[in-house]
Amino acid sequence: MQVEFVGSRWALFWLALKTGFLTVITLGIYRFWMKTRLRRWYWSAIRPGGHPMEYVGDPIEKLLGFFIAVVILTFYIGIVNLLLMFVSFSVFNSSWVGYLASFAGVIPIWFYARYRARRYVLGRTRWRGVRFGLEKGAWGYAWRALVHWAITLCTLGILWPRMTFWLEKYRTDRTFFGSARLTQGGHWTMLYRAAVPFVLSLIATGALVIWLIWIAPLFPQMEGSVDGFVAGVEGFFTEEGPAAVAASPERLLLGLLCILGLIYGAVHYRWTAKRILANHKTAPGITFHSGLNSARIAMIYVLGVLISYLVLTFSVLLVILMGAAVLGFDSFLAWFGLGSMSAVGDWPRWVAVVLMGVLYLSAFLLWGVLYNTFVTFPIMRHMALTTRLPDHHGLDHISQRARDDFAEAEGFAEALDLGAAI
Amino acid sequence: MTGGLSPRAMDATGASYFDGDVPQPRGVTLALTQGQSLLEITLDDGRVVEWPLTEVRALPDISGRAQYVLRWTGDPLARLVSPNPFLLSALPQAKRRAPPKGRGRLIKWAVAAVAAVALQIFVLVPLLADNMAKFIPIEGEKALGEATFGHIREALDDTGLTPIDVCTAEAGTAALNELVTKISGDRAFRQDVTIAVLDHEMVNAFALPGGFVVLFRGLIEAADGPDEVAAVVAHEIGHVISRDPTRHALRSAGSIGVLGLLFGDFAGGAAVLFLTERLIAAQYSQAAETAADIFAHEALEDASISPAALGRMFENLQGEHGDRSGVAAHFLTHPAMGERIRAARAAVDPDGTYFPSMPDESWAALQNICK
Ligand SMILES: [Zn+2]
Repeated sequence: MQVEFVGSRWALFWLALKTGFLTVITLGIYRFWMKTRLRRWYWSAIRPGGHPMEYVGDPIEKLLGFFIAVVILTFYIGIVNLLLMFVSFSVFNSSWVGYLASFAGVIPIWFYARYRARRYVLGRTRWRGVRFGLEKGAWGYAWRALVHWAITLCTLGILWPRMTFWLEKYRTDRTFFGSARLTQGGHWTMLYRAAVPFVLSLIATGALVIWLIWIAPLFPQMEGSVDGFVAGVEGFFTEEGPAAVAASPERLLLGLLCILGLIYGAVHYRWTAKRILANHKTAPGITFHSGLNSARIAMIYVLGVLISYLVLTFSVLLVILMGAAVLGFDSFLAWFGLGSMSAVGDWPRWVAVVLMGVLYLSAFLLWGVLYNTFVTFPIMRHMALTTRLPDHHGLDHISQRARDDFAEAEGFAEALDLGAAI
Repeated sequence: MTGGLSPRAMDATGASYFDGDVPQPRGVTLALTQGQSLLEITLDDGRVVEWPLTEVRALPDISGRAQYVLRWTGDPLARLVSPNPFLLSALPQAKRRAPPKGRGRLIKWAVAAVAAVALQIFVLVPLLADNMAKFIPIEGEKALGEATFGHIREALDDTGLTPIDVCTAEAGTAALNELVTKISGDRAFRQDVTIAVLDHEMVNAFALPGGFVVLFRGLIEAADGPDEVAAVVAHEIGHVISRDPTRHALRSAGSIGVLGLLFGDFAGGAAVLFLTERLIAAQYSQAAETAADIFAHEALEDASISPAALGRMFENLQGEHGDRSGVAAHFLTHPAMGERIRAARAAVDPDGTYFPSMPDESWAALQNICK
C-alpha cells in the first residue's frame, strides 16, 4: 500500500498567510485556530491507500488546554523563578545560577509536555474513520528521558543512539491504530549506522585541529597551543597583533567544511534514524517501509531556509521603502529612533513602539508562513511519498478504539513553546 | 417541480464510505430520497445508511480539490469520501460549523487563567518582591543593579548591536561625584551611591538596585542650571534609600516570565520590549515619589541648595516636554505635578541662604561629560 500526497504549495501558502494574519490582528489568540487548520490541511494531504488522514482537534479544546496550563504554570514560572533569582543574587551575586536552576526545573515538565502533546495529536488523528491513540505515561517518559540524557552526557554522546532507540520504543509501544498496538522492533546498536557521517566529520574536525595547531601550525609565531591558536585566529580576522600573518591561511576554509560536515551529520543522523526505526515498526499483520533520504531532507532545509530568508528580507526592505516613501525619509528614520529625536516632533513615542511591535510580529508571522511553505511542506511530502505498507492484511482485523478524552489538550506544550513547525 | 418524491441517483464513482468501526472502505451507491431531503447511502455489503441532507457537513481545510470528506452531525465517526462536486452542491449546509461545545468550561478556565495571572502579577509577585528587597544582601543588590543596568543599556540601543555608552569625561565625572558627596552630607547610607550618565537624548533619570543613579545626557541638556540637576540627583537618591528600585526590579523579574508564558514564542520578544519600556519609565507609587521628593527637599536644604530647584526642574520639563509621553515619564506621569511643584516651593526656608550647587566651571564640565 502506497502513501499519496496531494495538495499544492500555493494552497498551503494562502492558508498559512490567511490564518497567520488573523493571528497577528487577534494578538495571538487565533494561533490555536491557525495550528488546527494547518494540521487539518496537512493531515488530509497525506493519503495512505488514497484515503486522507483526518485531524479532528478542536481549537476551543486547545485554548482551554492553554488556560489550564497557564493556571498551573504561572505559579511555577513567577514565584519559583523569583525565588531562584533572589537566591542566585543573594548567594552567588549573579543571575546565571538562577537562570540555570530555573532552566533545569523546566526540563522534566518539557519532556512531560512533549509526551502529552503527542498523545493529544494522535488521539485526534484518524484514518479511514478509525482513531489513533497513545497510552498514558507522560511522567514515565519524562523520568526515562532524564535518565537517558544523563547517561548520554556522561558517556560524551557515545550512547546517544541508545537514548534515541529506547525513547522511541517507549512511545511506539504505547501507540495504537484502532485496536492494533504498534511495536518497535530492532536493537539500539542498529542506529550507529546513521551516525557514520557525523562521526567522520568529527574525526576530520579533530584531525584538522591537530594539524593546524601542532603539526603545521597556522600561526608559526604563536606557540603550538590552543590558547595561541585562538589568539591567532582572533588576530587574523581583526588584522591586529603579530598573528595577523598566517601560514597558508586558505586551510581555514577546511574548518568551514568541517562545520558543514557536522551539521549535515546531525541532520543525517536524525532522519536516517527515523527511517531505520520506521522500518522496524510493526503492528499485527502490518509492516512499514520508509525510504527517507537524508540528503534530500538536508537539501530541503538548505534551499527552504535560503528561500524563506530571501523572501523575508525582500519583504522587510519593501515595507521600509514604502514607509519611507509615505512618511518622508527623515521622519521615518526618526520614528525608529535612528535619526535625531527632534525630527519626531509631536509624534508620541508609543506610536513608534506599537509600530515596531506590529512590524516585528509581521516579520515573525511571515517567517512562519514561508517556513511552512518551503520547509515543512516538502518534508511532509517527502515523508509521505517514501512510506509504504508492504504488508497490510492486518487492517482486516482492526476495529475502533475509545475516544481519549483529556482536558488540557496540548496546553503545556503550547505554554512552554514546544510547538514544532505545525 | 415534477417527480419531487422520486429518488434521484447521484454519481458515486470513486466514493467510499467508512463506518467508523473498521478501517475498510466500502463502495457505495448514492441517492437523494424523500423529496431530496435524505441522502441514502447503500453500501456494497447491503447496509443502508440515511443522512438528512441539512445535517451533512463537509470537513473544512481539506487539501486538494479532487475529494470531499462528508460527515453527518448525528454520527461523529462515519465518513463519506467522494470526488463528486455535484453532491457537495446538493448539501444546503455543508459549510456550517459545528456548534461550539464546552463553552461554559472554557469561560471558567479563561477566568481562572486571567485571575491566576492577575493574582501573580498584582499580588504575589509584588508581595514577595517587597519582602525580598528587605533581605537581599548588599552585594546581591549590587549585582542585580548591574545586570539591570546592562539590560537597559542594550535595550536603549536602536541598532541592537552594542549597549549605549556611559559618559566618562574626567572633569564632568568629578563634578558629579562631588555633587553626590555634597547632597549625601553625613547621612549613613546602606551603600555608596554610584552615579552614571548615559549618552542618550532622553530627558530622564532613574535609580537602580545597589545604589545606582543614572542620568541621561538629555536631562543635563534640558536643565537650566546645576541646581536642577542636583535636585534630580537628590530625588533619585531618595529612591535609592527607600529601595524602590530593588522592589521594582524584582517585580519585573517575576513578571517577565509570566508574560512570556502568556504570549508564547510568538510575542515573547514584544513582551520583553514592553517591560523594558516600563522599567525605564520607572513608575513608582505616588507615595514613593512623595517620599523621594521630601528626602530631596531635606537633602538640598542641608547642602544649602535651594529646594525650589526641584520645582523649577518639574516646571521646565512640563513646559518644554510636557506633551511628549514616554520622555521624562518618570517625572511627569503623576497628575499631582502642580502639587509637587508647590511642595518644592514650600520647602524653601525664607530666612535661609542658598548657594549654587557647583561652581560654573564644574557645571560646564558636567555639560560636556559626553564629549
Ligand atoms: Zn521618582
